[in-house]
Amino acid sequence: MTQRKRPSSTQSSSQRRHTGNLVAQDEDEDATFTQPSTSQVQRGLEKLTPAQVDQKTAEVVQYFLVKDQKKMPVRRADLVKHVVKDYRNIYPEILKRAARTFDQVFGLKLVEIDPKNKMYILVNNLETPDKASPIRSPSNPKMGLLLAILSVIFMKGGVVRENLIWNTLKKLRVDPGEKHEEFGDVRKMVTDEFVRQRYLEYVRIPHTEPIEHEFRWGQRADAEVSKAKILEFMGELHEQDPKTWTQQYRQAHSLPNSSQASSSSSSQR
Amino acid sequence: MKRSKGGGDEEAPRHNGSAGRRKADQQQSDGDEGGSDIGPADLQDDDNDQGLRREIRSKYRDLISSVQQNREDMLSPSNNKLTEVLEEANKLFKDVRQAREAALDAQLLVVATDLGKEKASQLFSEGTAFDPTAFAEHLLSFMGLNRLEDDEDEQQNTTNGYLPQDAWHRLARRAECCFRTAPSFHYMMGSFYAEPPPPKQRIERQRKAPSKEAKRIMPTQLKKMEESQQEATEKEVERILGYLKGYYQDDPTSSISYYEFVIDPSSFSRTVENIFHTSFLIRDGLARMYLDEEKLPCIAPVEEGEVEAGGSTSRKQCILSISPKIWKELIDAFDIRDSIIRPPNTQND
Repeated sequence: MTQRKRPSSTQSSSQRRHTGNLVAQDEDEDATFTQPSTSQVQRGLEKLTPAQVDQKTAEVVQYFLVKDQKKMPVRRADLVKHVVKDYRNIYPEILKRAARTFDQVFGLKLVEIDPKNKMYILVNNLETPDKASPIRSPSNPKMGLLLAILSVIFMKGGVVRENLIWNTLKKLRVDPGEKHEEFGDVRKMVTDEFVRQRYLEYVRIPHTEPIEHEFRWGQRADAEVSKAKILEFMGELHEQDPKTWTQQYRQAHSLPNSSQASSSSSSQR
Repeated sequence: MKRSKGGGDEEAPRHNGSAGRRKADQQQSDGDEGGSDIGPADLQDDDNDQGLRREIRSKYRDLISSVQQNREDMLSPSNNKLTEVLEEANKLFKDVRQAREAALDAQLLVVATDLGKEKASQLFSEGTAFDPTAFAEHLLSFMGLNRLEDDEDEQQNTTNGYLPQDAWHRLARRAECCFRTAPSFHYMMGSFYAEPPPPKQRIERQRKAPSKEAKRIMPTQLKKMEESQQEATEKEVERILGYLKGYYQDDPTSSISYYEFVIDPSSFSRTVENIFHTSFLIRDGLARMYLDEEKLPCIAPVEEGEVEAGGSTSRKQCILSISPKIWKELIDAFDIRDSIIRPPNTQND
């Protein structure tokens, strides 16, 4: 099911005792959805034919693939309401099988980016190429802009005030106050679309007048973007060895695709 | 509040209220006025204070806004503007007497300290500092910025030059190496087009439209044509009948050669018209054609009494044709010099 193991809370211990399967790792309860216990799942499976379960799994897979076109995360509540429906008593099993399908058939990884709100995204499980892909598929220019923003945030220690981003973009001929010929409404794209896709976080700084926000990496960026590769790119651009940025280098190579570093050393800010 | 500036030892005593050291001095010097609390000298002091205070507040606000506006530039390690701002604030503070100006001074201090902290962090961080401005410059080059030749003004904020069309695409391709994005799911051959094709309806409508319009135009035109044609023909026929009768009455015994009658030696087309109009006379039984002893056609008007009711037995039909060559031959053969039928005077020739 989920690829990241979370430390177990007290609720799970009773469930764990029943099981030989590693199933119930989501302990928190949605308002509308109660995670079925393993025994409930077993009983549910017995009442259904394998074909039925496969069909439902396939529907979940298709739902994810279509939702992923726009890079919007999938909420468990939506998944259960629209797709799983009557099969909610075997939901953990379905999700487990779907994750296996993604891995074995599509080379994708099903990642839970928000344990509290139960959000999932799909991430590429294959190794990223060193150079650009030889396949000439049409590229999305938004990714270029996103790379620039994420790079600045990372190199500046993980949190930046929004003005820094806006000023940097202006130097790149992208003015958030004007309509850009390639990106359109830039401000909306950065503060709304990228945030909803979970590439960025746009958080208000308290006690500021006029209201200011700060940018951080979003959960999808944490899962998808390699800090080491970004640092490599910085090295190319500035014609420097990536190691000269010692703190960023340490951060990039300590844990591969590690979780967001709201940095420990205050000197980063 | 006092900022130590290595040797600054001016004391600025703080008092609430408008009474300050100056006022106390004045009271001491104006010995004569003695016990009066408020004199003309005091009022002048207040006025000065008001104006001065406004000036102080305005300058503080300028300093605060200059720090806020130019924050990015002042962050740069090479920029010393922050020190200048603090020195300026020190000077202003000497004249501060009241809470209102002091509050502004405090606000400036907050803004300046925040900036100072960030500048300091740049110095203390290990390794190379990261400058977003330089980063932007490098990115522009990476994206293929074509710089223009004349970079005379070094102070300008933006580099001259224009970005190529695919600038952001270049960066996006490079980004693909850093991202583990799941490729988007699309049907390889596309999806079926759900809407039914509407072209058939359009063709039908187009066909109908022109025919309607055509019908509208036709009747008006036809009417005109028929009228003019009918009138002209009738008039012409009557005119020719007139000629025929007149010619016959001159000499009723001799026969009128048909050729001599219809041919107009000066115009072939009028000859044809004459033949055309003459045929109406024959059709209506107002004239008759016959062959004389030499088997040449002749024409003669029909006497009014001679018209037989329904006379179908004596009617014969034939088709006449004439070509310019024959027309010329006839003219030569019969030596026709003038036309018996005068050309019509109307504009429709």
